[in-house]
Amino acid sequence: MAKYNAMTQEWLDAWKEKIATSKEYREIAKNWEGSVAIIVNPDPEKGIPEPIYVFTDYWHGDVRDFLICDKAKAESANFVMSGDFARWKQVAKKEVDSTKALMQGKLKLKGDLTYVVRNIKTVNKVIDLLCEMETIWPDEA
Amino acid sequence: MEEGFIENRATSVPFAGILADLLTANLTQRPEKRAVHDNMSGAVAIELVDIETVVTLLFASGKLRIEEGIVGRPEIVIRTTSDLVMDLNALRIVGGLPWYFDEAGRRVLAHLVSGRLKIRGLFTQPVLLTQLTKIMSVM
Repeated sequence: MAKYNAMTQEWLDAWKEKIATSKEYREIAKNWEGSVAIIVNPDPEKGIPEPIYVFTDYWHGDVRDFLICDKAKAESANFVMSGDFARWKQVAKKEVDSTKALMQGKLKLKGDLTYVVRNIKTVNKVIDLLCEMETIWPDEA
Repeated sequence: MEEGFIENRATSVPFAGILADLLTANLTQRPEKRAVHDNMSGAVAIELVDIETVVTLLFASGKLRIEEGIVGRPEIVIRTTSDLVMDLNALRIVGGLPWYFDEAGRRVLAHLVSGRLKIRGLFTQPVLLTQLTKIMSVM
């Protein structure tokens, strides 16, 4: 399996492809509509000198834009999740459950929480597919 | 929603903020749940044992106050883990009662049977527990 540098457009393209080709995702996410932004807080010691903004968009089982973007674009998403680089890495490596990280305040979510809870299987599937990626992390490169 | 409807006094507890946000949205979007809330009276503690977090929800006179820790003597105490607590929000309400015969309901029953979810007051506080389930359910 190809490896991709984390938080790059190539990495996002590969993640998008993984989601788009998942039959299970398509079935689970048939009711989901809306964009989700990921904000990675800067951590210079880990190779993240500035915040990283990622915009992802989903529509009834289809996958639309997956972009590294600017702050304004990220904040325009229906849902915005933010957290430190180390936390995102733990989530992507399945070392920490994303719900647990939310409950602990280590990840923050802006947006309609009832919608997220109603569609938690969709959210979990997207994260599961992220966890399947072969990722090169900047602090491990 | 009018000011002061939900008062979160546990602002240093992230889980309390999530509960307050979720209930505010749910009760605003669903007037029938708001009506249930307005008739609630009593205290419910929710403990997430894996992250050592406890909050108490105090219902009285159409208002909800969220406090850090166990406050008073809650009629209901729910003990579970942070990754399972949201399963309670996925319970459907059918005929005015929680529905345990679909996937979400069976999951909650499985947590109860396995001991990963413990509810003190499960059999002694059926009215308050049903009301709580109704307002927590996002389905």
